[in-house]
Amino acid sequence: MRAFNAELSKLFSLPGIWLAFLIGAFAPAVITALDSIVQKEEIIAGVSTRLSEVGYIGLALGVQGVIILGVLAVSSEYLTESSESGGGAQITTSLTAVASRLHFLLAKAGAVTVISILLCIVAIMTTVSTTYLILGEYTPAFEWSRLIGAVCYWTFTALLALGITLLTKNGIIPLAVLMINSSVVSFSVLLYKVTKLALYLPDRAGLEMFMFTSDTPFTGSLFDRFHNPFTGGLIMFTWVVVIFIIAAIVFHRRDVAA
Amino acid sequence: MSVSSSRKIMQIFGAELDKLITLPLIWLTLMSTFILNLALAAAFTSAGLQGTAGTQSILNIGLASMGYLQAGFIILGILATCSEYTGGQIRTTLTTIPWRGLQLSTKHLALAMITIPVAFIIAASGVLYTFIMIRDTAVVIEIDTIITTLIGATGYLTLTTLLSAAIGALLRRTTPALVVLLGYYFIVSPLMRIFLPGINKYLNYFPDTAGNYMYMPRSPDDINVLTPMQGTGISMLWTLMFITVAIVFYCKRDA
Repeated sequence: MRAFNAELSKLFSLPGIWLAFLIGAFAPAVITALDSIVQKEEIIAGVSTRLSEVGYIGLALGVQGVIILGVLAVSSEYLTESSESGGGAQITTSLTAVASRLHFLLAKAGAVTVISILLCIVAIMTTVSTTYLILGEYTPAFEWSRLIGAVCYWTFTALLALGITLLTKNGIIPLAVLMINSSVVSFSVLLYKVTKLALYLPDRAGLEMFMFTSDTPFTGSLFDRFHNPFTGGLIMFTWVVVIFIIAAIVFHRRDVAA
Repeated sequence: MSVSSSRKIMQIFGAELDKLITLPLIWLTLMSTFILNLALAAAFTSAGLQGTAGTQSILNIGLASMGYLQAGFIILGILATCSEYTGGQIRTTLTTIPWRGLQLSTKHLALAMITIPVAFIIAASGVLYTFIMIRDTAVVIEIDTIITTLIGATGYLTLTTLLSAAIGALLRRTTPALVVLLGYYFIVSPLMRIFLPGINKYLNYFPDTAGNYMYMPRSPDDINVLTPMQGTGISMLWTLMFITVAIVFYCKRDA
């Protein structure tokens, strides 16, 4: 519990984390606002086809915030300080204080999970209120199961980012790969054109937890449903567990300084 | 010791080039970009073969991976400037070279020297792979067109790298710079194109969209297109503007 508190305090005192909060809390709302404006015109013209999707697209893209959170949580530990202040890394201090590496890892994962759940709830609130504000009476009902799916998607993504960064130790590569992959031009969509196995990639499967769409403007008919929300979540969860086990083993065996 | 100014610039240039070449992360980035590009070209090619074979040109498929490729070059640019700030290297640099404006502009020059050949090789490798794979079915293109397009693509990647380097020098930290640039190139810009079709005409004047016209084969039915020359000019202006702002801040700010 004390390790958990320590991890929370470390995370909140990172300067980069405010960027993550800012993006996580407001990017979904902004994207939703833009989408809602387009939707409203379509509704008035009577050609709207994807009303039930409004808002969720913002949540799918706003996941950037928790990616930053997950990556920073680990990469900040490994950041070497300047030679003028000793050239040490925070990780040596952290592991001196919490000697059990497994406990350390669990505390960190717990802190990241809690923060990303809270962040997602904030994002859902801003997104839903934006939708009501712009669409007014046309607003579709937001189903709880889908919102919970979105929360799961955010949490799993944050944990994936954490696990991958633990393996690479450097924040740049996981940040770049995950950010691009959760964007509009995702690798998974491209791979899907080549092999159907891409459906089992974590982000693609995880999106099924709350995206019911089969025809969005940028993915088109590529985005048919293949799993039900529960299976999608299960596939993504399996990925998280596998990556975590690998990361835990590597972290346990690796020399801190290496 | 007094040194003539041309000799001084050459020395600074040599030092900057040396610093960039000895940065292990830069080689790692370039290698993985190269490999990733080939993998993506393979994916696009096989997707193109499954689709409407024979109608697509080699250039379209070979350069389709450019969208992803620029991420590698954005990282390259950011690394080049932000690496100075991890571990206080910047103070050593400024002690030996006390002319800040000169130092930062030579750094950009050295970065361009590295980027141009690498960007050309990487872009060409993608097109070459596609050419080998689908030369039987694809439409034949003249060699001149291919060369012009490749030069455009190289120019675009180089300008993107320099722009990222300037942003990196402004923000001085790797993570925020990376988030800002990747967020703009991969999320904000495509979303604006989808959600706000009304302002597409103005989007042409943003660095990434303008730069795209440097190598994109033009489709005649699109009205708001720029010529490759206009695109080059606009993205060059953006890059120069950011470099200037970065240099001004660099000169004013406490290191």
